[in-house]
Amino acid sequence: MTPGSRTEFGTASSNATAEEDAVRVANQPMMIRVKHVVFGAIGLPVVLLLGAWIGFFNVGASSGHWKVTAWFLQLAMRSAVRTYALAVDAPKTLDRRGLPAAAGHFARGCAICHGAPGELRSPAVLRMLPQPPDLALTVGDWTDAQLFRIVKHGIRFTGMPAWPARDRDDEVWAMVAFLRELPKLNPNEFRALAFNGSDATSSDRQPATPDVLSDCMRCHGGDGEGRGDAVPVLAGQKEAYLLASLQAYAKGDRTSGFMALPVTGVDPADLAALARYFAAQPSVSADRDQVSAEVINKGQQIAEAGIPERNVPACSGCHLGSNKNQVYPRLNGQHAAYLERQLKLFRSEDRGGTPFWHIMATAAQRLTDDDIRAVSAYFSRRAEGPR
Amino acid sequence: MSANAGLLVGFAFWFLASSWVAAEEAGHRQAKVVEPPIEPATSAAPQSSNPTASQDPPGIGLSLFLSNGCGACHTIRGTEARGTIGPDLSYVGSRSAIGAGVLPNTEEAIARFVARPDLFKPGVKMPAFDMLPQTEIQTIARYLKALQ
Repeated sequence: MTPGSRTEFGTASSNATAEEDAVRVANQPMMIRVKHVVFGAIGLPVVLLLGAWIGFFNVGASSGHWKVTAWFLQLAMRSAVRTYALAVDAPKTLDRRGLPAAAGHFARGCAICHGAPGELRSPAVLRMLPQPPDLALTVGDWTDAQLFRIVKHGIRFTGMPAWPARDRDDEVWAMVAFLRELPKLNPNEFRALAFNGSDATSSDRQPATPDVLSDCMRCHGGDGEGRGDAVPVLAGQKEAYLLASLQAYAKGDRTSGFMALPVTGVDPADLAALARYFAAQPSVSADRDQVSAEVINKGQQIAEAGIPERNVPACSGCHLGSNKNQVYPRLNGQHAAYLERQLKLFRSEDRGGTPFWHIMATAAQRLTDDDIRAVSAYFSRRAEGPR
Repeated sequence: MSANAGLLVGFAFWFLASSWVAAEEAGHRQAKVVEPPIEPATSAAPQSSNPTASQDPPGIGLSLFLSNGCGACHTIRGTEARGTIGPDLSYVGSRSAIGAGVLPNTEEAIARFVARPDLFKPGVKMPAFDMLPQTEIQTIARYLKALQ
């Protein structure tokens, strides 16, 4: 009996009955809707839970997603990256000084899943679900901010991990700069960028150096000269400082995604051998940017006399002279870009290190950006005195 | 058109999630702060009446003082320590009190101050040196107490 026919009958019956009918008719669709809502709110989750419990949903990667699932996951992933990237403050131009380090890291950490120019991927990786994209083909789909978001935070349900160090946005930006380069690289150019200097067969390594040395050389170079301005010179650095720093990376007291991978799981005796090896390399002069004499002079002033009115002690008090604590690093001839980055990390307390790190943090917190630039430039071209 | 709609939906989720994300990040921030280990003050320097004071090799106190960078902030006349940020320590041993008057001028008190100056002088500019081996702190304290 349809509501329409009821209304027709209603004209013939008494007024009271017609009113009752009208109320019932009006209520009927409402009753059905509430039932649906109740089923949806309680019944459907129960059905889904039951389905999961009896093992109805196939989690095997072999058959791929249902089309609707794949569509939904893609939509959710792309939308989330796009939306969360709105909060990322991307630089106008990417800093390319970290390219060699980023390329070295890519070769060790990323290429195993994403492949690299001239490298075939493992068939096992190609059966991952979702299959890791060939980044040379796909980085163009994303903005710098979106790439930053993906590299820093990873992507759930895909196997894409977050960056191993939480407070090293500088490293993540270096990776983004490298990803922008990746589509332009042919296999030889990629190898030159990622491996140059780490060709272990070409030189006469001391027999005592451990195998992991080739990991170091990828970024620091065979002579410890530091490939690219963002990677520190290790040649001629104090052995005690190098060892304490390696131990700090291994323990997590100093954070770096680039260093976390190679240093994890290395035998403590090997760490000591590595420190000894790089300390024994002859000092090299770092590449030098053009900096005005005025800036250099200001840097020299800070290095030798500090800035007493702002309670900045002279760098020389700890870093110059042969009579200083062996855990205080030598700074002469170090890359300016590296020094600048470390001072800023100290200033924001995002850099730990040896047990003495907070002394440097205390001093760095009293430095302006200009001070940091000047003093970094000064030390990068300061000639090595007798040790 | 569809991108805009997606953006709108994305924003809605973002607002829902933002408080949770903020809480999560705050948690990580807290976890990140590295507190220097606080040694109980009693264990800091148990050797106030120290009979070994004269057994330090000559110059070891000054050399520890300089090698650890104390001279960047403090002056000790007649040495290469010429810093002007902290107090002149040339005659620190003859002062009646240290740490802005909160500690007696004893070797033990100097050692405790060097290890954790912030415990005795709120807002102090000097960083803590409690990462140094206790014996080195005591050697430096003996050297400073002897500066009369």
